[in-house]
Amino acid sequence: MAFFKRRLQQPSNQVSPLEIGQMAIDALWSNKLRSGLTMLGVIIGISSVISISSIGQGVQKSTEENIRGLGTDVLQVMAGSAQSGGVSQGQGSVTTLTWEDAKAIAQQAPSATIVSAYLQRNTQVVYGEKNTSTTVYGTDLSYPAARNTFPQIGRFFTQEELDTAASVTVIAPTVQKNLFPANVNPIGERIRIQGEIYEVIGVMEAKGAQGPQDRDDAVYIPLTSMSARIIGNNALMGISVNGIYVKGRDESELETIKFQVANILRLRHNIDVPENDDFRITNQADILQTFNTILSLLTAMIVGIAGISLVVGGIGIANIMLVSVVERTREIGIRKALGATNGAILTQFLTESVVISVIGGSVGVVIGIGITFASATAFKFPFVVSGGAVAAGVGLSTSVGLIAGVIPARNAAKLDPITALRSD
Amino acid sequence: MITLENITKSYHLSETEVPILKGIDLEIAAGEYVSIMGSSGSGKSTLMNIIGCLDRPSNGVYRLESRDLTTLDNDELAYIRNRRIGFVFQQFNLLSRATALENVMLPMIYAGVPKAERRSRAEAALVKVGLGDRLSNRPSQLSGGQQQRVAIARALVNEPALLLADEPTGALDTQTSQDVMDLFNSLNQQDITIVIITHEPDIAAQTHRKIVLQDGLVVDA
Repeated sequence: MAFFKRRLQQPSNQVSPLEIGQMAIDALWSNKLRSGLTMLGVIIGISSVISISSIGQGVQKSTEENIRGLGTDVLQVMAGSAQSGGVSQGQGSVTTLTWEDAKAIAQQAPSATIVSAYLQRNTQVVYGEKNTSTTVYGTDLSYPAARNTFPQIGRFFTQEELDTAASVTVIAPTVQKNLFPANVNPIGERIRIQGEIYEVIGVMEAKGAQGPQDRDDAVYIPLTSMSARIIGNNALMGISVNGIYVKGRDESELETIKFQVANILRLRHNIDVPENDDFRITNQADILQTFNTILSLLTAMIVGIAGISLVVGGIGIANIMLVSVVERTREIGIRKALGATNGAILTQFLTESVVISVIGGSVGVVIGIGITFASATAFKFPFVVSGGAVAAGVGLSTSVGLIAGVIPARNAAKLDPITALRSD
Repeated sequence: MITLENITKSYHLSETEVPILKGIDLEIAAGEYVSIMGSSGSGKSTLMNIIGCLDRPSNGVYRLESRDLTTLDNDELAYIRNRRIGFVFQQFNLLSRATALENVMLPMIYAGVPKAERRSRAEAALVKVGLGDRLSNRPSQLSGGQQQRVAIARALVNEPALLLADEPTGALDTQTSQDVMDLFNSLNQQDITIVIITHEPDIAAQTHRKIVLQDGLVVDA
């Protein structure tokens, strides 16, 4: 019996992992409906995690592109709340910003390359029988460069038209759509803005909506015309404006420009301490950052909720595996009598649990990517598959299976073969 | 081949200790064809579990093929069950969702036999018990006698030193019982050591040696 003794030195009845995987799939296949339903929990969990995080990334990317389209190298100086005897009057209560301020910034701020002031008001615009409510912007020649938006047909107004407060207007696409039939070329047509007649000299390119603000729903007229005929003439300080766009050579100069602009305005407005500023300076990069922070937070929250369904799925697996071990007590007894070690039984049941969750996870990944693709197509945002989410999904489902399988598999391995063989 | 020296086994039931085996001394030589008889409660199932390495004695020494098994751990006992002992049960104990061939291949999975060899050896074992045409039938598609022959093929497939049968004919009618006993007889003639646990005298009568257990002791060997 030399053979026998030699083998007893290493009495490991090693079963290959492939073999155990095969056993697990056989066992699951013999109970298809139950296995499928058990997988469902993981499928739902993983597909939600993947689709939500991917959709979040897609929306983030699309919004980022839109906001970048507005120019992240632009500062916006807004008329802020004026102080009256130390009491804040509320933002916009008095327009403290003037065209003169804009001109001063253009002349005195060394880093500012483009400065454009604007005055805005919501008003009625009429063409023939049709009318629409829109925002009229009185602005200067730098506006297209500052806002990175240019006439698609026709032209913007000229220095001469600005100097003479000419009755010319450039309309944006939404206004064109609302006022003019598709077969009418708006160039040269006359529209009424707050009762006054303006000649359309250009149509801006479409820029798309930014949340509630539709940049294509606007008409542009010379700032001088606006202040002379609509609003904004301030006897004391010249022409009031709602805001000033200031653009530097590139994004990295924004902080410098901000500093220069703030100081120029404080000097001009006799402001002693920054707390009393009657203006606010913002830039798109800040807005972008704020937006991204909010969106990431939201995405993380929803992914967290989706993750809960993964936990529930894991509990489902654990449950079914516990039932399965009880049902297959006799099988476990037979296997042990035939020479399966406790380790082999443990591995077999643990593998079953992992196979359920990994198959569920893979199906979930595919469905999640499918949902993302469908949403991206339907709602027109870039189709991005979050690689991190896919990796996390696969990793998560594997660990869910492992954790869910531990207790059932240990129960199976611990079964006494004699008792197990006698069970029904 | 089997040596039992003063084997005792007792179970703890709450506070009291219930002795089942009270000191068994037994010697079974290689190639023997033995039956262990006894009424229910005599301890014959417990003795079978100990011989089959499914259970450990409370005291005493059990040697199989000259090796003392009393000190082995669970994995080593699993190894012995897998390589040296073939089990045949009253209730056949086949895996219901597996075919006859897959059932016979099962012990070889745990022995680490390569797949192709597993298949050919399992086929050969099934042919040997007269079921060469039933390879892909599931247990539910086989008669009781056929199922028991699958179980015997499974018990033999790892070429064990000992075939241990626990009431192998208990669930079969007289004719199929006789077929199974004939199979055991022919296997013994091929030098396989067979131990049958039974309470039926006419089954025991067909073996070459009767060991009678009563109240946890051997009364006739």
